[in-house]
This record gives sequence, structure tokens and C-alpha cells, in this order.
Amino acid sequence: MASATATEKGAGRSALNMVLFYVFLVIFVFMSVFPLLWVFKMSIVTKTELYATPPTFLPQNISGAEWAQVLGDSTFQKALINSSIIAGVTTVICLFFGSIAAYAISRLRFRFKGTVMTLILAISFFPAVAIIAPLFIQYTQLGIIDTYASVIITDTVFALPLTIWLLVAFFRELPVDLEDAARVDGATTIQAFRKVIVPLAAPGVFTTAILTFIYAWNEFLFANTFLFDENTQPVTVVIPNFATIYTVDYGAQAAASVIVTVPLVILVLIFQRRIVSGLTAGAVKG
Amino acid sequence: MTERNDGSGVRAGRRINRRDFLKMSGAGLAGAALLGASGCGGGGGGSGNIVFSMGPDDPNKSFTKLIDKFNKQHKGEFQVVHREMPTDTGLYFDKLRTEFQAGGGEIDVIGGDVIWPIQFAAQGWVQDLSDNFPASEQNKFLPAPIAASTYEGAIYAVPWFEDAGLLYSRSDLLEQAGYSAPPETWDELKEMALKTSQDTGTKYGFLFQGRNYEGGVCNALEYIRTHGGDVLSDVTSGKVIIDSPEAAAGLETYRSMITSGAAPQAVSNYTETEGDPLFENGDSVFFREWPGVYGDLGSGDFKVKQEQVSVSPIPVDPGNQSSSTLGGWTFMINAQTDMPDEAWEFVKFMSSYESFKFRAIEGGYISARQAILDDPEVQKAIPTVKLAKDVLLDYATSRPVTQFYGDMSLEMQSQFNDALTGDVTPQQAVETLQKNLTTIMKQAD
Amino acid sequence: MTTASTEKKGRGWFKEEFGNPERRAAYYMVLPSLLIIMVVAFFPILYGIVLSLTDSTVTAFGSFVGLENYTEMFQDPDFRVGLFNTVIFTVASVTLEFVIGLAIALAVNRAFRGRGLVRAAILVPWAFPTVISAVMWRLMFQPGIGIFQYLAETIGLVSGPVLSDPALLLIAATLIDVWKTTPFMALLLLAGLQVIPGEVYEAARVDGANVWQRFFRITLPLLKGAILVAVLFRTLDAYRVYDLFWAFGARELQSLSTYVYEGVRISQLQFGPGNAAAVFIFVTAFLIALFFIKVLGMQTSAEE
Repeated sequence: MASATATEKGAGRSALNMVLFYVFLVIFVFMSVFPLLWVFKMSIVTKTELYATPPTFLPQNISGAEWAQVLGDSTFQKALINSSIIAGVTTVICLFFGSIAAYAISRLRFRFKGTVMTLILAISFFPAVAIIAPLFIQYTQLGIIDTYASVIITDTVFALPLTIWLLVAFFRELPVDLEDAARVDGATTIQAFRKVIVPLAAPGVFTTAILTFIYAWNEFLFANTFLFDENTQPVTVVIPNFATIYTVDYGAQAAASVIVTVPLVILVLIFQRRIVSGLTAGAVKG
Repeated sequence: MTERNDGSGVRAGRRINRRDFLKMSGAGLAGAALLGASGCGGGGGGSGNIVFSMGPDDPNKSFTKLIDKFNKQHKGEFQVVHREMPTDTGLYFDKLRTEFQAGGGEIDVIGGDVIWPIQFAAQGWVQDLSDNFPASEQNKFLPAPIAASTYEGAIYAVPWFEDAGLLYSRSDLLEQAGYSAPPETWDELKEMALKTSQDTGTKYGFLFQGRNYEGGVCNALEYIRTHGGDVLSDVTSGKVIIDSPEAAAGLETYRSMITSGAAPQAVSNYTETEGDPLFENGDSVFFREWPGVYGDLGSGDFKVKQEQVSVSPIPVDPGNQSSSTLGGWTFMINAQTDMPDEAWEFVKFMSSYESFKFRAIEGGYISARQAILDDPEVQKAIPTVKLAKDVLLDYATSRPVTQFYGDMSLEMQSQFNDALTGDVTPQQAVETLQKNLTTIMKQAD
Repeated sequence: MTTASTEKKGRGWFKEEFGNPERRAAYYMVLPSLLIIMVVAFFPILYGIVLSLTDSTVTAFGSFVGLENYTEMFQDPDFRVGLFNTVIFTVASVTLEFVIGLAIALAVNRAFRGRGLVRAAILVPWAFPTVISAVMWRLMFQPGIGIFQYLAETIGLVSGPVLSDPALLLIAATLIDVWKTTPFMALLLLAGLQVIPGEVYEAARVDGANVWQRFFRITLPLLKGAILVAVLFRTLDAYRVYDLFWAFGARELQSLSTYVYEGVRISQLQFGPGNAAAVFIFVTAFLIALFFIKVLGMQTSAEE
């Protein structure tokens, strides 16, 4: 806290503090954002400028060729679709099972609640890499290797702790007698639920959905292990291979990276308040 | 926490299912649809069709056109369907291996990398083609890929098109520096690379693929073999003989490319992708790569033209023969296919003289049939084919291919790269390889 | 509340628990999630332990070989490199992230203009898929086109490509992880800071406590819970590192997890040691978590 003393020395120090503080902030923001900006620059310059030494700081020869190539590349398009499907379905399944479980944990009484929560929490400590071999064998036997199902099932398991944790925190915020109050006013249970609980819980569920979606979108290990071809592989698997397998240049890889990240960044920026409160609510209150 | 003895809590609890019920149905339907749709992985097999698996076709669609021709000829009997596989051979191999492990798959004919037939044959996954492909026919093909497709006396693949390592030189730059011909020995290469890059102001002297991946193995083997060493006493079996003074000397030369300054340290991280644009942009005097690069010169953004480049065999250590690592593709037939005769019809067609000639002219592919390489029309279409033929006939050797080549390759990738970067000495590298490869070979018994 | 830790789904006290309709409903509601978790996570690890004691391959279940795979694993130089890299990486990245994150959290713990911008800056690196950020950083270290490779060489920090040197790769990977995760650490710590009432500081200042005393006697103790949670999660995350090493190092940078992956998915003969390593990671991660909870006294949020 800046000291609130009224002496001149204090005021001077306070002004200096403020300046330092803002300088520090600028540096911090710059360092966080710089890599994204630089890779963006890499994606919009011509090949010759890309390979120029020393590297140019401001783009001089701008070319949309890389972006056009990437956006038109069928592998990339399929990868975007695959990512969307995998992340989307995982989110829906997690929300469904997670919200039921979270409701029970946050608003109902039962013995062994602690055990249940511990087990669910334990998954977030679980080293997923430890089970890729057994799962690979089982999924092969089930015939779902190289299909969405293998990754969706596995992602769901590892996203559930996050989903449940967040939803528990959100549900706990709802006033305890909400359902009762509504019913006292003459609403049936269903109406109470729909008109009272749902609107209040919606922001929490929505935030949870976003965070779960981001988690599933960013997942790499399982996608890399269980999926083999472009009809199923999401962007996290396809893009590292971009420079050596699907195309032959770094400009395209840069463009693909930016294309994939920008929507996430926009999403995060728009919903930053919610996201931050969601993440910290879980940490502090949970 | 509220006591809910009136049961309302229970109902409220159950009621949440309402909203989520819709979600669940959606998820369930989506899930079922996905499971169903993607479960068979885009197959097209089943009765009446031959499934041919291969990576994507080239921009000229050369083999697609051949498939169309074949299908026209066999209209009403059976058709061939191309099932597109990953471009990356590693991924493609993984996919095939997983399908075979799961019980056979629907693929009938496999377009596979030249190092696969033996690995698949050892597991019994591909068919013995000896009856349809006798020695008299085999002789019409280049010997190296035939050897790489033979396992325990039987042949398991029909060679398709071939690659071999070549040395590319910027003849215009060499002339400037006072040289009239490409180097024939490694020492000459180093000397010429250093002097030419200095005289002409070219950024790099020599580029090649040194990363710890399959291509790195191909590169390093060329050094080992041109010094008189080798990995196995026989390309597909035999004893591990890598621990020899010759092999160590080969790796010594490999490392010296960097220590002498002829090649930048970065080559220890290069695959074809990193080096291609650099050479094609004019940044290097010499380049080791596959024959396909020649066709790329002068196209696109890049500056170097074909007239400026000459191609020659891989240099040697004096007193030894040149050696190029063999690359390329072959045809195999799934041992579990239920249409073996039809599958062979297709393979026979695709490996016929006409089909090979078509692909050579259309796509620039170097076919495995020897006669093709002498055909004047083909020679006109592919300027490097004369040289490629000599190299393929005389100098091309396959990588050592055994049942566990995958693991052997991993060992070699790692040790060769370590020797290149100087993390281990060449002597240590060959000793470690001797030990580890012997262990792997033992498992094959 | 009885400690029923040995019975997962409460088979005892049957009538009391399952006779009550409300309680029964609660169990039904948590059952699907628990079931999925059991089937997809816990049973496979048991299967994995069994596998690690046999000489199985991906296709065939083998015969019992005792601890042979483990001996092979410990003797494998690749494993030792992976273990070394992972431990160094974990200690270094968590320490740096904690210290820098705490500094940021303390500095930002007040109202100021531009707070939204800072919050956004915090979240941007976090939102990247780890793999994509690794790819981006690899691009920036790529010889010939990479800005950071160029800068490092010009300053004289390195003499060759960072991507070719195992030690430099590890250092770079650590710094990338710090870049990506410090903001998130700062966020968690900030949330913990904001729970501390301002009056506590006022009272301390009135009593004559200086900045350092306030920090060590008030802030740290009150922040302990949040610190332990953040550090434990980060430690386990770092210990499990795979995406970053795989995509940034392109198989040149080994961690425990990449060792497992190479063993079970890439090679054909290293399946046994790969599985042994998988079990090794699981057991050690469990021990780390146990250490934090029991020894350091971290509260798991399950208790109410």
C-alpha cells in the first residue's frame, strides 16, 4: 500500500512509487504479450524477410500468403473441426455429470462426502501419462482407437475435477433456502428450479463451460497417443507437425499457431472477470 | 447445510436433470453419432472393393490417374479405393501397426516405406509374394530394394519408386572459386566448402540432415559405409558389426563437418525442411538430399535454378566405394486380405512398365524397374535419372532392416546425433550401438 | 464423521445411508462421475502396475517377470536423464514462479487504473495450449529465423543453437514455463491476498511494524493455505511435464513423461521399462502430494 503520510518526502516517494509501479506494469504486460505479437509478425511477412538476418523488428514486406495457405489447407481445417468437436462434446458431458455431482456435494448431506471429494480431487494430481499404455490397450480392444471417443472419454475424466470444483464453488454461493422460498411463494419445484436456480446458476455454469472447453481444447497427450490421422487429430497435434510434415515452412506454422490461439485469447479477454473469479473462487472458497 | 426431511431436497435434486437431460440427449446423440461415424475410420473396404492405403498423392495426381485407369479396365468386377493415410511415414506406420495389432484391418494393398516389408513380414502381417513374383521377374528391378523386401528367402513386397542420397553442388559458385568438378572425397568436400563459401560470400558451406530422426540415420550411414564400415554383416540379418575402426572413422568425418566449419552447428537439428529453403535460396554451396530436390529448384519464391546446380554421388573416404542410403516405397499385400487375387492384379498393374513410365513422366518418380531408367523419354523428363540410376544400381544400400528396426533406428538416431554434436566420441557411439543393437537383435530370435 | 477412507462407496451403515431417500439421491448423483473416474483412471493404473511386472508388449500379455522392468529402467541412461531433467525443471520452475508470482501479486494488490489490462495480460499466456506456445517459442529459437536465438547469440550468451544443446534446452524450457505459468500463480496468490483484511495491516503499522515484519509475520502466515495449494498444484504439473518438452525439444529433451511415451508408444522393445516408469511417476507423484498434505499441513478443500 502506498503510504498515506502527508510529508513531502512521503509524497515524493509516493509519486516515484507510482511511476515505478506503472513501469513495472508495462514491462509485465509487454512480456506476457510479446511472444504472441512476434509470432504474428512472423506469419505476415514474406519468406525472404522471415529468413533475413538480423531479424527485422517491424514487418517490412507484408504478405497474406501464409494465412491463405493455412486457412485453405484441408488438414488444418479438419484439425479445427476435430478440436471443436472434441472440446465441445467433452464440455457437454462434463457439465452434465459434473453439475449433478456438484449439486449433490454442495447442497445435499451425505456421509462419505469427504471421501468422494478427495477421490475427485485426486484425479487432478493424477499423472495421466501413467495410464496411456493400459488405456491404449483397452481402447484398441474396444475398437475406439483413432476415434473421437477415445479422447473424449479420457478428457472427460481429467476435466471432471475442474468442472466439479468450480460448480461446487458456484453452487455454494447460492442462498441456501432459495428453492424453499420460491416454493413458499407458490411455485412448483420445477418452476422454482427453472425460474430461480437456473438464472442464478447460469453464469457459474457458463464460466465453468468456458474453462472446461479451454482445458479440452488445449489437451495434447491423449490426442497424440490415441489419434493417428487428420480426420481425428485436433490442432494441438497437427500444428507441431506443420513445419515438417504437412507443409514445409515456418511461416505457415506461425500463422496456424496464431489462428488457433487468437479465438482463445479473445474469449479469455471478453470473459476475463468471470474467469478470474471462477478460478479464484475455487481456490479461495473451495 | 439444510436438513431436507420433507423430501423436497430430493425432488429439487432430481429436477436438475431437466435442463441437463436435454444436454444429455444432445451429448448422447452426438456421442453415438461420432462413435458410429468415426468408428470405422473412413474405410471403404468390404465386399467387392480393394482398399489401397497410401499417403496423399502428389499435385499431379499421378497414381490417382492410374487407379482410375485400372478401375475402368475392371468395371463391373471390382474397384480400387484409395484410402488416404498420413503424409508422415512415422504416423502412417503407427496407424498400420495399430490396425494389424487389432486384428487385420480392411486394407488389402499397402503402399509402404521401403523399410516396412521386413518388419511386417516378421510379424506375419503381409503376404509372401514369391509365387507371383519369381526371381526372373525380380531381376528386372533394382537389386537394393529387392534385397530390402526379402525376408528369410521369400519376397514380401514389389518395389515401387526409389530414392537415394545425392550430393548437390552449386557449380556456378565452385567455378568462381576455381573448381571445375564436384568433390569425390570427404576431405575435398570440406576444403571446397570452406574455400568456396569464403570466396563467394555464401553463408554456409555444406548442409545436411543431422537431427535425431530417421533422416539422420540415412545421412550418418553414408559416412560409415563410405569408410568401409557397416551396421550389420548382412543388410537384413547377421551379426552386429558397427563397432569397427572404419565405422568410428566414418562418424569422425561426420562430426568434422561441423568442427571444420564447413557445416553450421545447426545441422544437428535439421531435417529436410530446414535445409531445403536455405539451399534453394542460395545460402549453401553443397547440400546432401534426395533426388526430388532437383525438380523443386527454380520454382516458387526461391532463387537457385537448375542450371546452377550439379548432382553427384556421395563422396567417399579414399579407397572406398560411394554409398547412398536407399529410400523409397513398395507395394505389399495384407496377409488377411479376402481378395488376394484381385489385390495382386492391382499390384501387377501398378508395377508394370507402362505405369512406372507414366509416373516417371507425370511426377518425376524414379521407378524401381531398371529398364525405365534407360528409357529416353524418362531421361528427358527427369534430368537426374541417369545419375540416379548409377547411384541406385551401384551404390544404394538399404538401411539394416530387421524385425525390430523401429527400436534399432531409435538407438541409431540417438547415437549418431550425439556423435554429430560431440556429446559422445565416435568410439563411444559405436561401442554403445554395438551393445544395444546386439541386445535388440537377440530379441529377434 | 467417521473416517471411512477404506470404503469408497460406503458399503457400511447401509440402512442409514441408503434407507434415506435424500441420501440415496445424493449418491446416485455423484455415482456417474465417480464411476467414470474409477473406470477410466483408477482401474487402468492397477492394470498398468500389473503390466509393469510382466514382459508384455502392446499386443500380447506376457509372463510375470517381477521387478526386471524396474531394474532395466533404472539402468537406462535415458531414464536417468529424464529423471534429472524433470527434477531440475520442477524445482527451478516452481521456485521462480512462486517468487516472481508472489512479487507480482503483492505489487498488484491494490486498485489502480488499467487493472483490466493487467488481468488480461495475465490470462493471455495461460490461455495458450501448452503445445502451441512451445511451438511458438521453438520458432523463436529456430536458427536463421528466431529472434531469441539471434539475441542470445548477439549478446554472447550462447555460442550455438539453443535447440541443439541439451542443457540450454532445459534452461529455455524452464524459462518458457515461467513465462506461461507465473501469471497464473500470481492470480492464485492475489486471490489469497485479497482475503486478508486491510485492518490487520493497519493495526500492525500502528504497532510500528515495518514492511518486512508485516510481510513475514502477517502476510505469509495468512497466505499459507493459498501458497500450499498453488505450490502443490504447480509442483505436480511440473513433475508431469510432457507437452512442453515434447513440442519444444522435438525429442531432444527428455522428461519422465516423454520417457514413458517413447517407451510405450514409439519403441517396440521398451514397453516394459516404459510401464515401469509410468508406475514410478504415479507413485512418486502420490508421495509428493502426501507430503504436502500431511507434512506441510495443507488443507484439502473437501473438509467442511
